[in-house]
Amino acid sequence: MKTLTGKYIRMKREQLQYDWEKAKRMKVCYLFLLPYALLFFTFFILPICTSIYYSFTNYNILEPPKFVGMQNYINLVLQDEVFLTAVRNTLVIAVITGPVGYILSFLFAWFINELPRWLRTLAVVVFYAPSIAGNAFYIFSIIFRGDAYGYLNSFLLDMALIDAPKLWLTDPNYMLTVIVIVILWMSMGTGFLSFVAGLQGVDRSMYEAGYVDGIRNRWQELYYITLPSMKPMLLFGAVMSITSAFNVCDVPRALAGYPSTDYAARTIVTHLFDYGFSRFEMGYASAIATVLFLLMILCNKAIQSMLRKVGT
Amino acid sequence: MSMNTAPNKPAKKTRGDILHEQMVLRGEIVENKEPVSHKKFIIVSAIIMLLLIAVVVVSFVRVDAIESAALQGLEAPEDAAYASIYMVGKVAGIVLGAGYLFYALIHVLAPKRRKPNRSFWGDLGIYLMLCVVAVAMAFPLVFSVASSLKPLDELFRFPPKVFPQHVTLDNFSDLFVTLSQSYVPFSRYLVNTVFITFIGTFGHVVIASMAAFVLAKYDFPGGKTFFSIVVTALMFSGYVTGIPNYVIMSKLNMIDTYWAVILPAFAAPIGLFLMKQFMEGLPDALIEAAHLDGAGELRIFWSIVLPNVKPAWLTIIIFSVQSLWNTNAATVIYSESKKTLVYALQQIQAGGVARTGQAAAVTVIVMLVPITIFILSQSNILETMASSGLKD
Repeated sequence: MKTLTGKYIRMKREQLQYDWEKAKRMKVCYLFLLPYALLFFTFFILPICTSIYYSFTNYNILEPPKFVGMQNYINLVLQDEVFLTAVRNTLVIAVITGPVGYILSFLFAWFINELPRWLRTLAVVVFYAPSIAGNAFYIFSIIFRGDAYGYLNSFLLDMALIDAPKLWLTDPNYMLTVIVIVILWMSMGTGFLSFVAGLQGVDRSMYEAGYVDGIRNRWQELYYITLPSMKPMLLFGAVMSITSAFNVCDVPRALAGYPSTDYAARTIVTHLFDYGFSRFEMGYASAIATVLFLLMILCNKAIQSMLRKVGT
Repeated sequence: MSMNTAPNKPAKKTRGDILHEQMVLRGEIVENKEPVSHKKFIIVSAIIMLLLIAVVVVSFVRVDAIESAALQGLEAPEDAAYASIYMVGKVAGIVLGAGYLFYALIHVLAPKRRKPNRSFWGDLGIYLMLCVVAVAMAFPLVFSVASSLKPLDELFRFPPKVFPQHVTLDNFSDLFVTLSQSYVPFSRYLVNTVFITFIGTFGHVVIASMAAFVLAKYDFPGGKTFFSIVVTALMFSGYVTGIPNYVIMSKLNMIDTYWAVILPAFAAPIGLFLMKQFMEGLPDALIEAAHLDGAGELRIFWSIVLPNVKPAWLTIIIFSVQSLWNTNAATVIYSESKKTLVYALQQIQAGGVARTGQAAAVTVIVMLVPITIFILSQSNILETMASSGLKD
């Protein structure tokens, strides 16, 4: 046992020494990396670390942080009912818009793949535009307006499907549905572009080989040839859709109000905003951010292991 | 990943062509040998267009009749004949439109050589669905443009109409009046946003491509680990890092300066990620040859790598411009004279019912910039995205 550990330590040391020599030889590489690494560390890594640190303290910016152990997390789960609502809403939104948005992005990218070039360009613009249109989702507050002037209400009244206008954005029963629809509308983002581009790059001779090997329809072709060769883009798209599915904030704030009726449209991020920038309980807000961050990392790991199984 | 986004078919027969011929001979594919008559198609199109125009004219006449009656204080001529014409027109319009779409699709699909594994009805179904979904996706955007062109009385009209009856640019001119009366002149907001966008994007491109170059082309200790951390950071949104970022900014004395927005933008992970993936597609031989010729790393980076990754830096410029253009930076910038354009516009938008028309105009202005940039550069962006895959 002792010799084995000794051997391991010696091996590690040699590896380190080798790396060090290599690093010295390639110091110009580090020079190139330095400006980015410095900024990246300061504005992306340091915040995450400090956020984890603050989550164990009581901090209100004015006084120095006071260490309180797990108290923030305990309060989060046991005392804060609104947080549990927020988690539930975020999960509902994420579970629906994440996978559905992801699958829809891929399916539409695949459908438009065989269109003639100019039509494909047009389709890409039409599908991608909502996700970059700034705050164009404000228009949904007119479409879903609660009185009879709202477009949806007026349409439904006209068709005699309802007999009184529905409060789409203030009634807790409808709020989440409306938000999910709006987020799905905006879900064809960077991942969608990646799919469109990736599908164009799939090796065409694979399809011919597939035909010879007995693939008989487009769905078999999709599962056995297209999906496996698209795996890298699928992984990238998964990261992108997790990011957008969990960080829902602007849409519920703009449409359902902030705070919304009965907190029915509160998400983890709006909860974080509430504590961070309205009540200045930075420690508590950091605990919320940490929970959100862990959720996202876990989700990403789960999806990666799922995607590895595709087409095999 | 190869980047054959625009495959030019060579003149000689590919394996696919040979395969196709064999399949035709075996009777597995029925080739459509009949020449398609474009004449017939054009005639049918013309007839249907005429009918559609007729339907539209009839319905407008009807609307005018009601409006002029209302103006003269008379009761609208609600007789059965008018109503039935109106209904017939509506139904006929829908049926004709749908039928024409169907016909056009068949015309587009039929003469083509069918690819293996693609059934005609499957293609038709998919294209029809694509049309429907595309209309649904485009509707809210079209609707926002349409409402920004409506005069005030039409914005509050009941029952509401999607398209304006009297197109006007009043909302935009009102918006400029409001902006010119603001506490800080409008041009100041514009200058702030342009400054932030320009400096932020420029620095981001330089810094991120320097890092991407060494990460993609040199194997040095720590490089792979660093890149995997950057990939994880793709998931950090501004919200999660917002609070500690504020604290860090205040420690660095950068609250209420442009740098609080610009410096984090320099290190945006998505730019480094896309750039690195694209640079990996450059042949190693190119860089080795330059090494043999005695060029240093800086020289290689500047005069060999950068000119060859034009699509990638165009793409990250566009992504960076999009995100910086849309920042309102309200959490780190407090003085009114340093606020961004989007912030000012959102304030107008939040002005309530009295500013409904201006709010619609704001939405259109804010959304037009990124969409226009995307349309102009979409081929470069797609070329870059082709190498965006994550290898695990």
